[in-house]
Amino acid sequence: MELTDLFSNLALGFSVAATPANMFWCLMGALVGTAIGVLPGVGPVATMALLLPTTYYLPPEGALIMLAGIYYGAQYGGSTTAILINLPGESSSVVTVLDGYQMAKQGRAGAALAIAAIGSFFAGCVATVAIAVAAPPLTKVAQKFAPADYCSLMVLGLVFAIVLARGSVVKALGMVFLGMLLGLVGTDVNTGNLRYTFGISDLFDGIGFVPLVMGLFGMAEIMANMTNAERRDLVTSKVTGLMPTWADLKASAMPVLRGTILGGFLGILPGGGAVLASFSSYTVEKKLAKDPSRFGKGAIEGVAGPESANNAAAQTSFIPMLTLGIPSNAVMAMMIGGMMIHGIVPGPQVMTDRPGLFWGMIASMWLGNLMLIVLNLPMIGLWVRMLMVPYRLMSVAILFFCCIGVYSLNNSANEVLFIAVFGLLGYLFFKLDCEPAPLLLGFILGPLLEVYMRRAMLLSRGDAMVFIERPLSASFLALAAVLLVIVLLPNIRKAREVAFVE
Amino acid sequence: MRRRKLLTAGGALAAAAIVRNGTALAQAQNWPDKPVKLIVPYAPGGASDLMARPWAEKLSQAYGQQFVIENRGGAGGMIGTEAAAKSPPDGYTLFFAPGGTLTVLPLMRKAPYDPIKSFTPIARVGDLVCGFVIHPSAGPKTFKDMIAFAKANPGKLAYGSAGLGTSSQLRVEMLKHRAKIDILHVPYRGSADALTDLLANNVQTMNEINPLPHVKAGKLILLNINHSTRHPDFPDVPTLTELGYPESDVPIWYSMQAPAGTPKGIVEKLNAKMVEIAATDDMKAKMRAINIEVPLQTPEQIAQHLVADIKATGDLIRDANIKLE
Amino acid sequence: MRIKGSQDLAAGLMFGIIGLLAIKIGADYPVGSWQRPGTGVLPLILAWCLVGIGAILTLKGLVSAGPSLLEGQWAWRPVIMVTLAGIAFALLVDDGGLVAAMAVSMAICALGTPETRWREFAYFTVIMCVTAVLMFIKGLGMPIKVFPWN
Repeated sequence: MELTDLFSNLALGFSVAATPANMFWCLMGALVGTAIGVLPGVGPVATMALLLPTTYYLPPEGALIMLAGIYYGAQYGGSTTAILINLPGESSSVVTVLDGYQMAKQGRAGAALAIAAIGSFFAGCVATVAIAVAAPPLTKVAQKFAPADYCSLMVLGLVFAIVLARGSVVKALGMVFLGMLLGLVGTDVNTGNLRYTFGISDLFDGIGFVPLVMGLFGMAEIMANMTNAERRDLVTSKVTGLMPTWADLKASAMPVLRGTILGGFLGILPGGGAVLASFSSYTVEKKLAKDPSRFGKGAIEGVAGPESANNAAAQTSFIPMLTLGIPSNAVMAMMIGGMMIHGIVPGPQVMTDRPGLFWGMIASMWLGNLMLIVLNLPMIGLWVRMLMVPYRLMSVAILFFCCIGVYSLNNSANEVLFIAVFGLLGYLFFKLDCEPAPLLLGFILGPLLEVYMRRAMLLSRGDAMVFIERPLSASFLALAAVLLVIVLLPNIRKAREVAFVE
Repeated sequence: MRRRKLLTAGGALAAAAIVRNGTALAQAQNWPDKPVKLIVPYAPGGASDLMARPWAEKLSQAYGQQFVIENRGGAGGMIGTEAAAKSPPDGYTLFFAPGGTLTVLPLMRKAPYDPIKSFTPIARVGDLVCGFVIHPSAGPKTFKDMIAFAKANPGKLAYGSAGLGTSSQLRVEMLKHRAKIDILHVPYRGSADALTDLLANNVQTMNEINPLPHVKAGKLILLNINHSTRHPDFPDVPTLTELGYPESDVPIWYSMQAPAGTPKGIVEKLNAKMVEIAATDDMKAKMRAINIEVPLQTPEQIAQHLVADIKATGDLIRDANIKLE
Repeated sequence: MRIKGSQDLAAGLMFGIIGLLAIKIGADYPVGSWQRPGTGVLPLILAWCLVGIGAILTLKGLVSAGPSLLEGQWAWRPVIMVTLAGIAFALLVDDGGLVAAMAVSMAICALGTPETRWREFAYFTVIMCVTAVLMFIKGLGMPIKVFPWN
């Protein structure tokens, strides 16, 4: 694309996005998104689904700008609950919990929230530019990925899960396997067989991510905290400085940059690449850090990197949707629904047939990100003060939001029953000192790994060499092997030392 | 539910029957005097949901009462269908039924409803128009070429489907069976993932609705139309009948259904209104934009079509040996 | 023999039992062929891995010193009440409407902690109910009844 084209396109985009009406829809989207992102349990997918009929009455540009605003607004808001009450609203903020909540416990909730917002803003801006400049070539890159490559990428992702572990590697490994097993519950895509459903039809489509997380994190956290004043009061006892210090900013600069690049790239992969963004950023930061032992104990890099990565990925996951009309996740499916409601068939022709819509949406993303940071930085004080709500009330509120959030997904009361079960399981994990984060990563990646592995084997007509012959796949596998050795070596050495001592 | 049983039991008594008919008549005249729930058994944003939205809007306008869509996704549509089947038959719960929930699902799984006995049909609300699409690098450029290529190279072509037992699989299996060719089946979780691999030429063909925009953009080739007539957007593309495979269509058809026992008056009133709506230019244009045709049918015609389709699908599943392993 | 790390032991047993159950239930799942690995392959691999992990942790718990399972109190009261609260919400929301489901589930949840002050809780519940009805039913248009008779 010519540079002059780019500027004329962007000018067109801003002329669409900056009309008062569309600015208003963008702001509404960002506000609603932040609000539901902050509420534990209520996520962007359910909200967009509920608001989809309303967008019928808006012009298509306004509708899509608002829907997009809900999405990235929820990304900003989601990190707030992750940091303040240890409850990740969606897969992307699972990692934020690890160090974000620890920072909150040390009275640095303000700094964690601010760095998450700043990192997200930076990542959002860069990713928006990337979409504007290079959406079509990036689409081509994503198409170079065959099922075998995705399969190896998932293997690499599972190795990340072990790096996430704070405590025992053996337990983390067990949790990864358990998560993968939970992820396999439901209908097997390849054969149509049912696995571990116990005849419950609500399990035929598998266990939902939201009920699982609301149970393991939300309910279990309430159970653990209700009688344990010592554990929870750490968060409220000593809130120091709402803004990050200069040292915090300096420590975060590189992680933000690396997270943005990593997330921006993984976001364009249509087959579940985006979920890897925050996990891989965390792994990279932990491995690059001079003192990796700080991670899991409130390292600001562990918030800055993953938060930037997931926001960059959130933005670039628009690319397959915009250029090909292919949704890479449930949120993008909603966006496509929003287009189709207005009679716009998503596909490659949107860019040429409706340039105003296409470039207007891209421009609105930048405006939306700007609005979000302006809105969110002053709100940090408010969020942190919310922690002062006595826990006896907070716990009831969290319980309610978890229940309604799960209910809102499919209007299914049975899924609310699941969170009660997962809550008990989560409390057991807590007492046994088994961390739920690796379990969630296994839960997300396990089924993807299986699907891609079997698809690759089908397409290669049963030749397993495909995983080694394809350069992309081979490099992912090699990287996974190296990482595994680096992670396991100190443990093996330690185990041997222990054995010798005894 | 219990009340219905009670009434049916008492139906032997003429008096009870008169009371029931009397209230039914009054119900039909005043219907709808409160919002009507329209159950869609899939998540929002999917084809069913998108088709249901314009209908809900038009019906709300026509009756001055909200027709509220309730998405009850899960278990390939089984959960929503079950919920609809077990709703009170008072005309205030309707079911937006994708053909597969009534034809394929009960044949492949133990479904907690009966496709014919649990529902009473109201109106046909739309057929999706689609066809065989092939990646240009695969080689064949016409339907006949593809058949010849597949015959010469058994198992070399692969096709993506939206999943096991979906119509996108049945359509290809039907052709494989009739033309005696071998194309490898690669199931996906939904048609979007399959399209991704089709565009990257990881699989070479697909028979679905969502590649059509890419055909218009020149990235993929449309080989045929799975419909009785050619499509105005693709006037040069032949139908299967023209190509020598009559009655090989497995159309994706949708209907509005109500729980069995819904008063006849309401069913007829609604059918008349929906036929009227379907004939308007605005509705036609809305449906055409998302590649949907709306055949006008009476409730009786739909019931017959459903019975015939269940039989045809059953035959195909048996003949082509499609099963959950 | 004295158990040295009861927490590890319990975790080991948990993984082991889940693994064994998964093997037992998954025994009938077809394993398929090399080109088409079947339904049962990955579940079985994972289940055996879990059994292995379980064995390692159980041994570790028996042999080497670790934290005790009894460290810190077990919060039976909140565990039971929070679980019941979730179940109550699920059972009430469809037929009883949002307000009933909220009031009952939140009250059960509040029973989970001795810190609850009931007058304060009552005000809070009213505020939450009004907010929730306005936000979820009026604002987002969720298809839930407000009251049982709606």
